[in-house]
Amino acid sequence: MRGFLTTRATVLDWLHTLDQLGDVFFPQPMGESSFRFDKVRKHSLLAFEDFDATSTEKPFRASTCVQPPGKKLSPNNEQIFHFSKNENGEYQLTPTLDDRQRILAGVRPCDLKAIHLMDRINSDGIPDAHYLSRRQNTTIIAHDCLQPCDQHCFCDATGSLRWREGADIFLTPQPEAKLLIEALTERGEQLLADAGFTPCKNIEGRKTLAEAQRTKPFGRQFNAPLQQVIDTVSNSGESPVWDKHVERCFSCGTCNLVCPTCYCFDVQDDFNVDDPDSGQRTRSWDGCMLEAFAVVAGGHNFRPQLAARQRHRIKRKLAWLPARFGDGSFCVGCGRCGHQCTVDIDIFDIANDLLATAETKP
Amino acid sequence: MKPVDFDAHVLTPRMARIIEARDMTAQERFFRLQLPQPLTHRPGQFVMASILGIGEAPISISCGPRHDGQLELLVRNTGSLTHAMHQLQAGDYMGIRGPFGSGFQLSEFEGRDILFVAGGLGLAPLRSLIEPVVGEPQRFGRVTLISGCRTPADELYREQMQAWAKRPNVHVIRLVTDTDHLPWGGEVGLVTAPIAKLEMDVANTLAVLCGPPVMYKFVIMELAARGLPNAQIFIDLERRMRCGIGKCGHCQINHVTCCQEGPVFRFSDLESLPEALT
Repeated sequence: MRGFLTTRATVLDWLHTLDQLGDVFFPQPMGESSFRFDKVRKHSLLAFEDFDATSTEKPFRASTCVQPPGKKLSPNNEQIFHFSKNENGEYQLTPTLDDRQRILAGVRPCDLKAIHLMDRINSDGIPDAHYLSRRQNTTIIAHDCLQPCDQHCFCDATGSLRWREGADIFLTPQPEAKLLIEALTERGEQLLADAGFTPCKNIEGRKTLAEAQRTKPFGRQFNAPLQQVIDTVSNSGESPVWDKHVERCFSCGTCNLVCPTCYCFDVQDDFNVDDPDSGQRTRSWDGCMLEAFAVVAGGHNFRPQLAARQRHRIKRKLAWLPARFGDGSFCVGCGRCGHQCTVDIDIFDIANDLLATAETKP
Repeated sequence: MKPVDFDAHVLTPRMARIIEARDMTAQERFFRLQLPQPLTHRPGQFVMASILGIGEAPISISCGPRHDGQLELLVRNTGSLTHAMHQLQAGDYMGIRGPFGSGFQLSEFEGRDILFVAGGLGLAPLRSLIEPVVGEPQRFGRVTLISGCRTPADELYREQMQAWAKRPNVHVIRLVTDTDHLPWGGEVGLVTAPIAKLEMDVANTLAVLCGPPVMYKFVIMELAARGLPNAQIFIDLERRMRCGIGKCGHCQINHVTCCQEGPVFRFSDLESLPEALT
């Protein structure tokens, strides 16, 4: 596969031209300190992070977008099908499949791994047509991180920092405001074919150069290797750690809402107000931290305790789904849940506390 | 990612015409549906049933496997959707997706004595297994059904249970917890009561349970007292699935997705799962 070397500014100009192929999404500043993964419009101000220590200007630092890029593949309130009555009074049902081309650009390795995990989930068993229809028409332009995005980052600890699978094009920051652009798939090759970038003759050398600039250690690190974290969480049943970390929890579900590997949903039907013979079924994001998540008909709740719901969430990320798919941690270490939590409950702290408790056991 | 084949209609129901609808009790309404194509379901599977514009919910299939495209459901009036279903009449339509879930493998029951324990509405899903088992007496061993409900007015499938009881090798024990001053030809008590006195060849018996969560613990205690191993106990669990295809997360019990690996489980596979039964 080919590689190119060009400036950040040239790549940003190129991203603006890609909208003729479909919607292009890129992290965009929202206020002073937040980023939104939003559609690129004509006047959108796009920027790549500045890693160049020699630059005299104030370096531009990106943070994770509040909502992970992968959520564009399973949007909230997504229509599943719509229905109407024909002239014979029979219902006609039509599945809503979104097969428009779209480009997710500026996707960081943690979010790239999360998209890969969602690909696994939605292809597993009975495939989810609605996710896959979007995904198979999506091109991903990912972007390496040479420094942690913020103090919540622990992507290296969860094995996401060097994730590449799922990206069609991969961008690696270079000195002098340049970017190494690599095609990783045929789709990526095609997209770059007419871009007019300067071919790079020494791709490996450029990657080594970037690696040398990478902050080490990168972000927060667990107090044990990842496999030990997964084993510890898998083997932890009843533990005071679960109670400790819900003392302040409001059960608001924000951690679910911002997690790139939370995919649970609820389903709702609606009639069209102006035509009661027609309507649609939609699905909306749901979260296992919400109190009514495991309620069944008649009102029995299988997880009424907050600590049980917290344990369920953590074990999905660090025990059950890793065991089921063999693709490592389902927590990708983006740090969003801890960052956005009103009371600073952080999966990273919970994992370290479980490690500490396991060590002190006889 | 590598392309994956998918069924575009996976979350879109087919419309099934209701050919029979009647109240079986004050709470439960029986439906017989005609599907555009047969479901080819196994006993113990469920469908996602819906009324367009109102909603969708998992409903156990309450008839044995059949090839004529008909499907029987028994729906308890317990929420807004099932309340709306109780207004449906013959000639109306219901949306159906499925069948979903692992269900029971009839071959596992061949030659075995089978003890069914049904609490209340739990009889409906068990009926999908009782029907084929009772229908082929030479293929299965002795069949015992313990079915309990609150009062005589709440009893489901009364005539059918009486007909099953007349068959050779079938023993039916019907209980209520309270006769409520109504005429009653069965016993009074809980479904746990008869287990201690049952004639039982423990080595060759499989027990199949379905009922409210509170029932399982006590029935399992009685079965354990008789020496029945946990691997010989099947439990049909209830969860509120939103999708049936293992994606919505609502039916997940620890690492197990109830709509895919269940809703029928061997108790030996559930005993280490917190939250499975209560």
